[in-house]
Amino acid sequence: MSSWSRQRPKSPGGIQPHVSRTLFLLLLLAASAWGVTLSPKDCQVFRSDHGSSISCQPPAEIPSYLPADTVHLAVEFFNLTHLPANLLQGASKLQELHLSSNGLESLSPEFLQPVPQLRVLDLTRNALTGLPPGLFQASAALDTLVLKENQLEVLEVSWLHGLKALGHLDLSGNRLRKLPPGLLANFTLLRTLDLGENQLETLPPDLLRGPLQLERLHLEGNKLQVLGKDLLLPQPDLRYLFLNGNKLARVAAGAFQGLRQLDMLDLSNNSLASVPEGLWASLGQPNWDMRDGFDISGNPWICDQNLSDLYRWLQAQKDKMFSQNDTRCAGPEAVKGQTLLAVAKSQ
Amino acid sequence: MGDVEKGKKIFVQKCVQCHIMEKGGKHKTGPNLHGQAVGFSYTDANKNKGITWGEDTLMVYLETPKKYILGTKMIFACIKKVERADLIAYLKKATNELATALFITKQNVP
Repeated sequence: MSSWSRQRPKSPGGIQPHVSRTLFLLLLLAASAWGVTLSPKDCQVFRSDHGSSISCQPPAEIPSYLPADTVHLAVEFFNLTHLPANLLQGASKLQELHLSSNGLESLSPEFLQPVPQLRVLDLTRNALTGLPPGLFQASAALDTLVLKENQLEVLEVSWLHGLKALGHLDLSGNRLRKLPPGLLANFTLLRTLDLGENQLETLPPDLLRGPLQLERLHLEGNKLQVLGKDLLLPQPDLRYLFLNGNKLARVAAGAFQGLRQLDMLDLSNNSLASVPEGLWASLGQPNWDMRDGFDISGNPWICDQNLSDLYRWLQAQKDKMFSQNDTRCAGPEAVKGQTLLAVAKSQ
Repeated sequence: MGDVEKGKKIFVQKCVQCHIMEKGGKHKTGPNLHGQAVGFSYTDANKNKGITWGEDTLMVYLETPKKYILGTKMIFACIKKVERADLIAYLKKATNELATALFITKQNVP
């Protein structure tokens, strides 16, 4: 059903033209009965009690006007450096806007003025290097902002001014090398922050000050070398923490202290040879049953006495341990190649 | 043959923001993937495509969801090919139990 609007019904050889025309008209009638209408530009249009959902991909053309009851608009996979200036004009009920995979280089500052009820803005896979000041002035209702896989090298706090209700911020897959201080200061409702797959070497220690209920923090695929003790302090209710695929060589002793309900911790594929005693004290059993688990594989663990604390902790939650066979000792010589679990058991 | 354990980790990392995998669980932004979503308001795009979700369809869908189902609201989550195999293995295993139950029930409905 989804592609019918882009195909013209073919008349099979031998059928009279007026019969095939009748067939076509019948098809149109049937289609409108199902709540689907043929838009003049061949975008897919669905109508329901909630309003209209319009989805456009090439070879359809971008609509020059939108029905006043449009609640959902997707304009994706076009080759566009800029959006038509009045794209959202008149669509004051718009709730979701999907603009992924277009190649957009910039957005005009008034672009979101016509859509104050917008809840979701998806700008995945464009070519944005920045955002104009005032872009989100009218976006107090925006819950989800996705800037995944653009070309952001820096981030200015002022770009995100106005996003009072933001719950989900996705900045993954950009080229961010560092973050400004106070980035999240006004995001009291933020639940998910995704900074994965960037080039972050350090983090401002006050990064997580501001949101009152952060649940998920993605920092995987960066270049972090150290996890300090202050970063996670403001977020005792963090549930998911992804630090895999960095260059972590050092984790501060108090880094996880106070995390009361961590369900998932991924430290895999880093450069950890050892970790300080007491690091694990507050995590998992007996305090809290990690619902999903943890992963410390792909590290060059030196399995000596310094890891005794870790061995004890592993024994207590080995059923929550991902990648057990890939969590091995890189030294000392006597235990090189053995799994950490085997060494832990033999203590 | 994908690795179920790796698939579970990918699910937690890339899918759990919007989906859950829980028998009888309440939907989040996206449908509860345990036994495909009775009562979730899929976009009409998703419903009308009439897909039977299996390994092959999932492999294609998860590569570029928005091309496979025009008008889907799912936000792209980059899942590499080898990761897709692992994820699908996990999805298969996790939903298997309910799928069997549904099959038996269908047989008994007149």
